Amino acid sequence: MDRRTTTGTMNDADLAQVLSQVRAGDSDAWGELYRQYAPAIFRFCRRLLPAREDAEDATTEIFMKVRQKLGTYDSSRPFTAWLYKVASNHCWDTLRRRRIRQDLETGDLDTLPLEHPDPSQLERLQAEHTSKEVRTGLARLPDRARMALVLRYYADMSYEEIADTLGVRRAFVGVLLLRARHQLRDALSESGGASALKASAGGTP
Amino acid sequence: MNHSDGHFDEMTGLLYLEGQLDPGRASEVSAHLGSCVPCREIVHALETEGVWLREALAAEDESIPARVIAAPERGTAHWGWIAAFALGTGGAYTLWSSFVEPWLTQASQAGFTQGNLLTMLFFTGAFWKGWDAMRSLTEFMAVATLGTLVIWLLRKQWQRFTAIAFVMGALVGALALPQPVAAADVQHGNPGYTLPAGQEVKTDLIVAAERTRIDGDVDGDLIVFSDSLIVNGHVKGDILAFGAEVRVNGPVDGNVRVWCQSFALDSAVARNAMAWTGASDFNEKSRVGGTLTLFSGATELDGKIGGDLLAYAGDLSIGGSLGHDAAIRGGKLNVGPNAEIAGQTKYKGDHEPEVSPGAKLGSPIQFTLVKRGTDYTRGRYYWHQILYWGAGFLLGLVMLLVMPGFFFDVAQACKRVGPAVGFGALFLFATPIAAIIVCATIVGLSVGLPVLLFYGIAVYAAKIFVGAWLGEQLLGPGVGVGPALGRLALGLAILRGIRMLPYAGPLAGLIIAMWGFGALVLVLHRRISAPPAGGSLSAA
Ligand SMILES: [Zn+2]
Repeated sequence: MDRRTTTGTMNDADLAQVLSQVRAGDSDAWGELYRQYAPAIFRFCRRLLPAREDAEDATTEIFMKVRQKLGTYDSSRPFTAWLYKVASNHCWDTLRRRRIRQDLETGDLDTLPLEHPDPSQLERLQAEHTSKEVRTGLARLPDRARMALVLRYYADMSYEEIADTLGVRRAFVGVLLLRARHQLRDALSESGGASALKASAGGTP
Repeated sequence: MNHSDGHFDEMTGLLYLEGQLDPGRASEVSAHLGSCVPCREIVHALETEGVWLREALAAEDESIPARVIAAPERGTAHWGWIAAFALGTGGAYTLWSSFVEPWLTQASQAGFTQGNLLTMLFFTGAFWKGWDAMRSLTEFMAVATLGTLVIWLLRKQWQRFTAIAFVMGALVGALALPQPVAAADVQHGNPGYTLPAGQEVKTDLIVAAERTRIDGDVDGDLIVFSDSLIVNGHVKGDILAFGAEVRVNGPVDGNVRVWCQSFALDSAVARNAMAWTGASDFNEKSRVGGTLTLFSGATELDGKIGGDLLAYAGDLSIGGSLGHDAAIRGGKLNVGPNAEIAGQTKYKGDHEPEVSPGAKLGSPIQFTLVKRGTDYTRGRYYWHQILYWGAGFLLGLVMLLVMPGFFFDVAQACKRVGPAVGFGALFLFATPIAAIIVCATIVGLSVGLPVLLFYGIAVYAAKIFVGAWLGEQLLGPGVGVGPALGRLALGLAILRGIRMLPYAGPLAGLIIAMWGFGALVLVLHRRISAPPAGGSLSAA
C-alpha cells in the first residue's frame, strides 16, 4: 500500500540525504525534517489524544524520540512507516498511562456486531457529516477503537503493524476495525442527523 | 464465515476490501460479488466508508499551533537548556547556602530545635538575613528558574506529587506533635474557659475558646486558640497562643510563642520568647531568659532580656536592659535613658535612632539608613532597570523553551483584559491567604509552602506574559521562538518604562501583575477543567 508523504514534498533521494545529514548531527537538516513531518504527526496525535495540549506535547516528545532512535531506522523501509510506528507507540503508551475509561472496555471482543448495515443509510450518514464532525465522533470512541481507525486510515499502517502496536493478535485487527466503524456510525447517528442504523438490524440482504 | 444462504458477512467484506483474505478465499468472494447485488452493495458501502474516513482524518482544516512549528529550534538551542541548567544549579546552591544553612544555624541557636515547625519556619523566614540578597536579581531569577523547572518536571506526576505531599505533611505533623497530643487535656470553652486558681493540669493543656483565663498551674505546655488569653498561673512548659489579645502575667518555665493583635508580658519567661503581633508591651517586670524575637508593630521593651534581641518592628522603644546583642530592623528606634545594651546593636531603618544620653551601650549603634523613594539622577538606577528587564526576559526565555504551549496560551489569554485583571485581582490576594491558612494547619505545610513558592513565581512572571502579549500587539503575530522572543523583549521594555514613571509606575505595576496573573489563572482553569475526551477537538 502506498504511504502518504503527507505534507511533505520531499522525494526519496532528498529524504535519504536529509536523514544521513541528521545522523551526522546537522541541526539544519533536522529542522528540515521536522518542518516536513511535524504537521502530519501533530494531526495524527490530535486525532488520538483527548486535548490539544496533549497533542502538542506528544508531537515534541515523538520528535525527541525520533532523534534519539534514528540510528535504529532501517533505511530500506519507508521512513513514514517507521515514523508513524514511533508516533503510534508513543500515543498508545500515553493513552494507556491515563487509562480510565479503557478499564470499562471488554478485554477481548470476539463478539461482533451481527446486524448488517443498510448501504443506503450508510451513504446518507457519510453525506450528512463533515470531516470535523467525524473527528468529534471519533474522539468519543474508546481508545483502542479510535487508535485502530487512525492507525489504519490516517497512518496507513498494515494489519501487522497495528497488531504489534496495540498488542493484539493479527487476526483480531479486522474485528477491531469493523467494530470501531460500527461504534463510529452509532456515535454519529446518535449525535443527530441520520436515523439510527440499528433500525436496519436483522436486515441481512 | 458464509451465511447459510450463501452471502458473506460484513467482516469478510471488509477483509476482502483491505486485501487481508488469502488468495483462495478472495477469489471466492470476488466470484460471489459478481453475481450478488446485495453483497456488492455492502462492499461498496464499506469502501466508500473507508474513503470517507480517510478524507475526514486527512483533512487539514485545523491550524498547526505555533509551538509545534517552532519546536525544532529547541533541538538547536542547547544553550537554552545549558543556561536553564546553570540557573537551576545556581538556584539550588543559593537556596542551600543562603537559606537552609543559616536557617538551621539560626534555629538551633535560638533553641527551636525541638520546637514547633511552623513557628520556626515563619520566624526564621521573617528574620532571615538573606532576604535582601535574595531580592537581588540573579538569585531570585535562579530560584524562580529552578522552581519553574521543578514544576515542569513534576507536571505529569502532579497528582502523585500532591498525594506524596499530603502524606509527607501528615507524617511531619504526626512527628512534630507526638507528645503533646499523646498526653494532653483538650478543652473547648463554651464560650469561655477558665482554669481556676489552685487547680493544676498535670499534662499539656490545649484550649480553644472565645475567652481563656488560666489562673491555675499547667505542668506541660499550654496551647491556646482564643480571642483573648490571660495567664496568671504558672506554666512549666511552653506557651503557644493564637488570638487577638494575649497577656501573660504568670511565670513560664519554657518558651512563649504568640501570634496575636496585642501582646503584653508582665512576668518572667525562663527561655525564649517570640511575638508576631500588631503591638507588644514588655513592661518593667518582664524577663526573658533567652532570645527575644519580635515581629511587631509598636513595641515597648522595658523589661530585661537575657539573650539576643532580634526585632523587626515598626516602632521600637527600648527602656530596659539587653544582656547580649541586638539586631533591629524597623521604622523607628528609640533608646531610653534607663536602657542598657551589653553587646552590639545593629539597626537598619528609615530614621536615625534616637538614643538618650543616659542609655548605657556596650558599643555605639551601627546604623544603616534604608533609603526610600527613587533617585532618578543616579546612573545605577537605570542600570538596575536594565537588569530587571534582563531578569524578566531571561525567565521568559526559559519558560518559552520549557513550556512553550503554556507560555503562548497565557500570553494569548492576556487579550481578555477584563476577566484577566478581575480574576488576577481576586487570586492575587486570595491565594496567599488561602496558602497561609493551609500552612497554619501544620499538616498542610508541605502543600501550603509549595503553593506560596509557585505563587511567588507566578506573580513575578505575570509581567512576562503581559509583555509577550503587548509585543505581539505591536509587531503583529509571529511564528516560532525567535520572533516570540523579539516581541517579549520589546513588550517587557515598554512595561519596564511604564514602571519607571513616578507615582503611576507602582500602580501600573500592580495592575500588570493582576493582569498577567489573571491570564495565568484563566489558562490553568481551562486546562484543569478540560473535557476528558476530545471535547476540545472541534476547538482546534
Ligand atoms: Zn451475497
